[in-house]
Amino acid sequence: MIEFRGVNKWFGALHVLKDITLSVEPREVVVVCGPSGSGKSTLIRCINGLETIKDGDLVVDGQRLGDRATNMTELRTEIGFVFQAFNLYPHKTALENVTLAPIHVRKIARGEAEASGREMLAKVGLGDKFNAYPSELSGGQQQRVAIARCLCMRPKIMLFDEPTSALDPEMISEVLDVMVGVAEEGMTMMVVTHEMGFARKVAQRVVFMDAGAVVETGTPEEFFSDPKTDRSRAFLSKILRH
Amino acid sequence: MLENFSFRTIVEYLPLFGQGFAATLWLSIVSFAGALAVGIILCAMNLQRSRLLQLPAKIYIDAIRATPLLAQLYFLYFGLPRLGVVLPELIVGILALALNSGAYIAEIIRAGILSISRGQVEAGIASGMTYSQRMRLVILPQAIRVTIPPLLGQAIVLVKDSALLSLISVAELTRAGQLLASDRFMPAEGFLTTAACYLVLYYGLKSLAVLSARWLGVRPIGSRT
Repeated sequence: MIEFRGVNKWFGALHVLKDITLSVEPREVVVVCGPSGSGKSTLIRCINGLETIKDGDLVVDGQRLGDRATNMTELRTEIGFVFQAFNLYPHKTALENVTLAPIHVRKIARGEAEASGREMLAKVGLGDKFNAYPSELSGGQQQRVAIARCLCMRPKIMLFDEPTSALDPEMISEVLDVMVGVAEEGMTMMVVTHEMGFARKVAQRVVFMDAGAVVETGTPEEFFSDPKTDRSRAFLSKILRH
Repeated sequence: MLENFSFRTIVEYLPLFGQGFAATLWLSIVSFAGALAVGIILCAMNLQRSRLLQLPAKIYIDAIRATPLLAQLYFLYFGLPRLGVVLPELIVGILALALNSGAYIAEIIRAGILSISRGQVEAGIASGMTYSQRMRLVILPQAIRVTIPPLLGQAIVLVKDSALLSLISVAELTRAGQLLASDRFMPAEGFLTTAACYLVLYYGLKSLAVLSARWLGVRPIGSRT
């Protein structure tokens, strides 16, 4: 579903992605972790073209990014992206947020889009917040709207860029529960997160990145109980100590 | 001092001030509409990546902002006929105000658009919207809210700038004051009445600004993070 082959990227002189080779199968859930600045956000932002790669191949849903034949705008409708800062549209209600792209991009009839929007909001536990504006919602509620906004596009892939990092601790689990639900329905997911509980519960694989390179990959079981490299051991000791 | 002040003459000249008031009002409205059009076009050019579109807009905006409106007005009024373009005073006046204000409005709109966070743009991109869909559905509706108060401020400036049109003998408010001053040698009566009329226009626009702020405030904006 997603395949990186020898991907490199630079920000000026900074080598942010170093020779990344990695693939994600359909229905697979992959958690990406690593210290800040390790390139994990950049990695998943490349998948929907929010960042462009310098060399190597990146194939998403059978289409090679950067090819003339690849229509990025169309491909993006198949990829949901959940941001750390939610990025809901502040001038739209929750229901308008989740129906905007289905109506204007997918060209679904308004009535139909609103019906599935309501259903999706109810599913993430916001059945009573259809007409609330983002500023009237808590962080956890906003992030759940953001996830519903992606799901309403019926994507093939969902990408999460540190979805719980901007949340107060007591709101983290309500968002993770929704994400677990999405994973259990068989969505292909790539999740940048340090939530190890989530990784253990639903991830098939954990990818550990440091300084722009993939240092280690393994099942959550292997990675957490028996990390192979010094860097991953050092990282885990820091995040698991709390 | 007040015994020299002739209220009677002012009353006598009220119809003239009425005409001047109406003229200032409608020529300001027409000029502002023109300025909005000029501003939107300039701003659209300025936001393009292509230098070919961006550069002329930047040069125009700088040239207008660097030179006095009076010089621009005189150029259009005295200069254009020399180049073979002869236009009625009123048209020249409206043109000068629209072209001048347009440059400022372009910058006001640009600031409004740039004030929308990068995250909003990325949310639009990620959901598969095209550039024009993002502009229409996400960026502009938010930018307009930020833009309306400074736009009304610019409208107030335009109304006051329109006084310069009296210098090319357009029959507007300041011209009415000048007439009273020169016909009856009563500059105090003439220009105080003119000033009072501008004050009325100013309060009209100001209450419009207050109303729009209240109207824009109806829908909450700005997400809590």
